[in-house]
Amino acid sequence: MKRCVRILVAFLMMASLAACTGTSSDSSANPKKLVIWTNLTADAQAKVLQKQFDEVAHEMGIEVEMVTVSFSDMYTKLATAVQSGEVPDIMHTNFSGAAYLQAQDMIAPVDDVIDGLGRDDFISTYLHVLGKDGKTWGVPDWALHNSVWYRKDLFAKKGLQVPKTWDEFEAVAKALNTDTDKDGKTDLYGFAVPMHAVQVAAQTYYEMLYSEGVYTLDPQTGDYSFGNQKEQAVKALDYMIKLYKESSPPSSTEWSWNEYRNALVEGTVAMTLDMGAVVGLAEANNPDMVKNLGSFEFPGPDGTKTASLGSGYTFVASNQGGDAKVELRKEFLKRLYTPERAAERALSRPMFAFPSMYSALKIYRQDPSVAAFQTEIDSITNAFEHSNWYWYGMEPGLNQLSSQIESTTFFGEAIQGVALGTRTSADAVGYIDQQLQEQIANIGK
Amino acid sequence: MRYPNPSATTRATLPATRDETDNRERRRRRELGLVLFVAPTVVFLVVFVLYPLLYNLWLSLTNARLLGTTPEFVGLENYLRLFTSSTFSRYLWNTVVWTVVSVALQMVVGLGLALLINRKNLAFGTALRTFLLIPYVVPAVALALVTKWVMNGDYGIVATGLQAMGLIDHRQSPLALPAYAMAVVILVNVWRSYPFPMLIYWAALKGIDAELYEAASVDGAGWWKSFWYITLPALKNTTIVLLVLRIVWTATYFDLIWMITGGGPAGSTTHLPIMIYQASFGTFQTGYAAAISVILGLILVAGVVFYVRQSLATNNTTR
Repeated sequence: MKRCVRILVAFLMMASLAACTGTSSDSSANPKKLVIWTNLTADAQAKVLQKQFDEVAHEMGIEVEMVTVSFSDMYTKLATAVQSGEVPDIMHTNFSGAAYLQAQDMIAPVDDVIDGLGRDDFISTYLHVLGKDGKTWGVPDWALHNSVWYRKDLFAKKGLQVPKTWDEFEAVAKALNTDTDKDGKTDLYGFAVPMHAVQVAAQTYYEMLYSEGVYTLDPQTGDYSFGNQKEQAVKALDYMIKLYKESSPPSSTEWSWNEYRNALVEGTVAMTLDMGAVVGLAEANNPDMVKNLGSFEFPGPDGTKTASLGSGYTFVASNQGGDAKVELRKEFLKRLYTPERAAERALSRPMFAFPSMYSALKIYRQDPSVAAFQTEIDSITNAFEHSNWYWYGMEPGLNQLSSQIESTTFFGEAIQGVALGTRTSADAVGYIDQQLQEQIANIGK
Repeated sequence: MRYPNPSATTRATLPATRDETDNRERRRRRELGLVLFVAPTVVFLVVFVLYPLLYNLWLSLTNARLLGTTPEFVGLENYLRLFTSSTFSRYLWNTVVWTVVSVALQMVVGLGLALLINRKNLAFGTALRTFLLIPYVVPAVALALVTKWVMNGDYGIVATGLQAMGLIDHRQSPLALPAYAMAVVILVNVWRSYPFPMLIYWAALKGIDAELYEAASVDGAGWWKSFWYITLPALKNTTIVLLVLRIVWTATYFDLIWMITGGGPAGSTTHLPIMIYQASFGTFQTGYAAAISVILGLILVAGVVFYVRQSLATNNTTR
């Protein structure tokens, strides 16, 4: 009897151990299953993705599991996934996430997928960002572009013109400050300067740096550049802090994306740098505001703008699990890139996401949700096609430095310090320079 | 002289030998049983405490990264880098302020409320005790979101209240000002954590002999004297244990402060656990992160040992 009990206990223990080794997200054991991670947690975007994944899975006769990983958790989860060798089959992430995975040698080049779809149909700058060592490491899905989103009605009311230089911009921002209830306090601020430590401060600062021609890495040579341009970087930071002090709400040192977008949509700021997400937000929460919104390019110091900030999302395919599995992933990606599907994904966040394919862009433009913004679409797509646009640390192409900037807070800490008067601009730029060099050395190790 | 009968001796010793053998066997079985009972705990401690501790110590002497290369021994390089870092002393100071003020306030509030709920004939005693325990079960993420909401410079009830009182500028948020931000996270932490010392103190108060208070009362001692000369000395050992636990838990508490301020503004609420997180998952330098955690661990051990020794020494002198 005792022996029987022992055998039974041993069996149960082994069975439970065996059960522990498999997880629901592990597709390695099933050649007909793909696990796809996406950072898009917004309902509208996640729904469209899930719908398209199900459609393609049905077409191919395979099983797909979509896992949403919030952007704030992405690097933590990716790091542990890479460490355990269990990266998802396909990942839908931003360009920095793709750079990170490429640096870990966890993804496959996808030039064959792009060529199969028609390389000429892709906006070439999208492909450039995802290029490294002569290969393309992700199929670009859509891109976003930083512009100044502003209240057209307030410009008209105050007789203001779109500014062409930094001085003009500063004057316009100041002119927009309004004390609506005449109590001696500003109720509507001219221009939001958000500086949340996680990513946002760096994004605001980089728009000014790029407009002035300051880069982290030289776009042509890939050499470290910021350290040689510190004087200009100090000038850009001084300008940014001046704008903050003159025309931004005091608490914007802690503002992240939600706060500054809501402020524009609710009518408590008149201009903000944004990637167009304010349009979707206004459509959802304050539809009357939509008609008042417009955008223009943040100007260069003397009227000539060098570049602007922009990034986007891409699908990357894991290189793990053998050739057959890699081919399955690529086939899945190909089917996701019909013009209709590509346009539908971008339109799940109108004016924020701009499709990477010309054929999809054509469909995109005709959608009612963006009908009122044809001028803005022209301006933004023109910037995509012809201007220089970069994402911090990825000026010459894919680079892991970008993900290091995104997952740390040294930019935010330094910039907030200047805004709060605990550092000088020169000190902050020196600190950023030192940290960037440390990160670069760290990547090289 | 009489000699023992050999056959009688044999008869007497034989059963004794059997008994000894039986005893030995019983003792052996009992010891084996004890070992088997203790083994899971020992294995658990070795696997989940000792091994990670030693592994962490080893990692701190290497250039280990979360990804990529095999770690190489670099000696004390991580420690040198930490001590020469421009931010370490500032973050260490933030850790001290966060821990000392949080723990001190938790203990005072906890003791005060324990005295309150320990009162005889307290109206709605059970309801009040339940109510006072609520903060302990509020998830940190919910608390962080509510805190950010009430501190919003545009519509947060606390922020607008402070603005109305002229304590902060119009449309300013306390979370955007270094001095206020640390105060806010400390207060939120105290609010969430006081139930633990309250419960422990309440249990300890129940153990104090009521006759002591009666005797003091007969001698003319008022509430304050009874509290000072009876209650506080009786709670001394409880306080030592509570302080040790709360200091360790608070100094290593990461999620609340990270979710409310992310260490900002301008690093004013960044403490060593956030520094460890940034080193691990920001720059993926696990070796460096391990070195910071070793230093944090050593500071905690040194602080706790010093405190306990001082307290015990005072105990011995007063006896």
